[in-house]
Amino acid sequence: MSILQNGFPSLEEIRAANGWPSEERFAKGPVAIAECVQEIPCNPCEAACPMHAIQVGNPITNNPHINESLCTGCGMCVAACSGLAIFVVDKSYSDTLGKVSFPFEYLPLPEKGDEVDALDRSGSFVCKGVVTRVLNPARNDHTPVVTIEIPKEHVDEVRTIRRLNAAEPAVFTPVPDAEYIDDDVIVCRCEEVTAGQVRKAVREYAGESVTSIKRRVRCGMGLCQGKTCGKLVTRIIQEETGKKASEIPPATDRPPVRPVTFGALATAGKGEDDNG
Amino acid sequence: MADWTVDVAVIGAGVIGAATTYFNAKAGASVALIDSGDLAEGTSSKSDGNILVCDKLPGFDCLFAKASQDMFEQLSHELEYPIEWRQKGSLFLMETDEEMEIAKKFCDEMVACGIPMRMMDHKEIKEDEPLLADDLPGGLETACDGSLYPMGLCFGLAFQARKLGAQLLLHRTVTSIDKQDGGFVVHTTNGDIAAKNVVDCAGVWAPVIGRMVGLDIPIQARQGQILVSEQTFQVGRRKVHEFGYLMAKFQTDGYKRPVSEAIERNGVAFVFEPTASNNFLIGSSRRFAGEDISSDIEVMQAIAERAIRFFPIIADIKVIRAYTGVRPFTPDHMPIVSATPVPGFYIAAGHEGDGIGLSPITGKMIADMIAGNELMMDISPLRYSRFTEKAAQ
Repeated sequence: MSILQNGFPSLEEIRAANGWPSEERFAKGPVAIAECVQEIPCNPCEAACPMHAIQVGNPITNNPHINESLCTGCGMCVAACSGLAIFVVDKSYSDTLGKVSFPFEYLPLPEKGDEVDALDRSGSFVCKGVVTRVLNPARNDHTPVVTIEIPKEHVDEVRTIRRLNAAEPAVFTPVPDAEYIDDDVIVCRCEEVTAGQVRKAVREYAGESVTSIKRRVRCGMGLCQGKTCGKLVTRIIQEETGKKASEIPPATDRPPVRPVTFGALATAGKGEDDNG
Repeated sequence: MADWTVDVAVIGAGVIGAATTYFNAKAGASVALIDSGDLAEGTSSKSDGNILVCDKLPGFDCLFAKASQDMFEQLSHELEYPIEWRQKGSLFLMETDEEMEIAKKFCDEMVACGIPMRMMDHKEIKEDEPLLADDLPGGLETACDGSLYPMGLCFGLAFQARKLGAQLLLHRTVTSIDKQDGGFVVHTTNGDIAAKNVVDCAGVWAPVIGRMVGLDIPIQARQGQILVSEQTFQVGRRKVHEFGYLMAKFQTDGYKRPVSEAIERNGVAFVFEPTASNNFLIGSSRRFAGEDISSDIEVMQAIAERAIRFFPIIADIKVIRAYTGVRPFTPDHMPIVSATPVPGFYIAAGHEGDGIGLSPITGKMIADMIAGNELMMDISPLRYSRFTEKAAQ
């Protein structure tokens, strides 16, 4: 079973993609483990490591590899990983207990001494654990790193804890239509354009249509081609200019309808290689 | 009574009009920039952002382009809107030994004009761009070439001009122009503008404006299409294109590239431009199709096929968008930057695919002409009367 079927990586996938520290290395003290198995263009971990123990290299879609002899288990990479896919494991902590450090971006944060539910990669309960440290300095950029102690036999499995706020809504709730979108809310996810940037394009840069806003701040220029942000941008233009939605022209649709590889485009309709 | 009274009315808010507005405003003139739509709505938003001298001809053509290119460094500091100017040079790729020969001669002539060009062999181009196809004999590097965000340049010029007091009169169509004592009245669908001088910067649509004062401007639309990739890893570090592009641009006779019929028929030549946003643009095509700006699947396919020929790895990367625009084409491939037989009426149009790169010097020249200053170089090859002289012969 793979990450594509389960939504989380198996130990085999992690070993194949990133490697795994040796037992000798585990015996020496805390060590970082990358569990980053998909080939995505991302490499902040490489720069975050003060020991230069992490390598992504070229192309940037390589999976990271951690050199176990250089790694000191300092944990700088844990907060730097935007995919929340790096952990520090300490099997040398005591004869019976081990420690796992992981990124934890949910409020409220646990406190040192709290007893918590330790969960595996799938989110299933494994055992009870005790919080030994919560690090959240400014350099972590809002990614707190939590360390827990748990029975040693579970340190290869446990990767997070159950959220402390049990009252989370079960499903995503869209913003109701009438609600004002705050300036710092991202309306174009592909290009990470905020509502504030869209408003500025209307107020200061004479943007009056979805296309004119796109040209000024790039919303709608990404992978989804404005399928997600188009309506939100229309709404913001409406609020800013007092026009009706029907008076605001939508962005021009351009081919292809869905992203398609250059290879498929070049060969489509031209013989045996054509898969439709 | 006119709604606005200005020294200079600029018609057409693409990059040429924005630059003309900016340099006139900078010189102290009161300026109105008029357009039927938005800033950069026509050709300037369908372009790529290359600022090249490598694809100009030796002589006046390349010197004019170089003088314009040399203005961007200062502009990138002067304009508050980010224009993403990067000067990493460009690389022409040759596909055959015959192209190597032609390129060598071309390179020598350009170097004699002072353009920093040099030939590169197979090994050097592979070191420069490791993902290139393995069978290319060599390349031609132009160290001074650069690129930027073309719409950003339009916005930068227009909004900086606005700070200097220029009026942006957008979303109003010019319907007629009356000559009157000491100037013109430009009538639009939303207000009239009295102006001592009028500059026709309407690009492909410059002939429509020209006819309003009785001038016949020989510009026609030459279509081009571009494919945009997803954001991805670095395929190439800078602008890379095939030397055959020059031949497609100038319709050179006597040499035929070893390419498919669809590539030949649509004037497709490989052009790769990495953007500041980590995707890349792939061009190019040249054909006459009226003012049609819908993307044609045959042309899109030919562009993709040609790109894979030079960077095989591109086959696995996704296209997220195709767009099509029309270039303002003149019969001799040179723009018109000129006074006209109508006193006070100037033309700055017909830059074909070079408007973005040539915009600063075009704007500066027109501003100097209107102010009566000495021009920084002789631009008589760009005079409007060259077409009427020919007709008279």
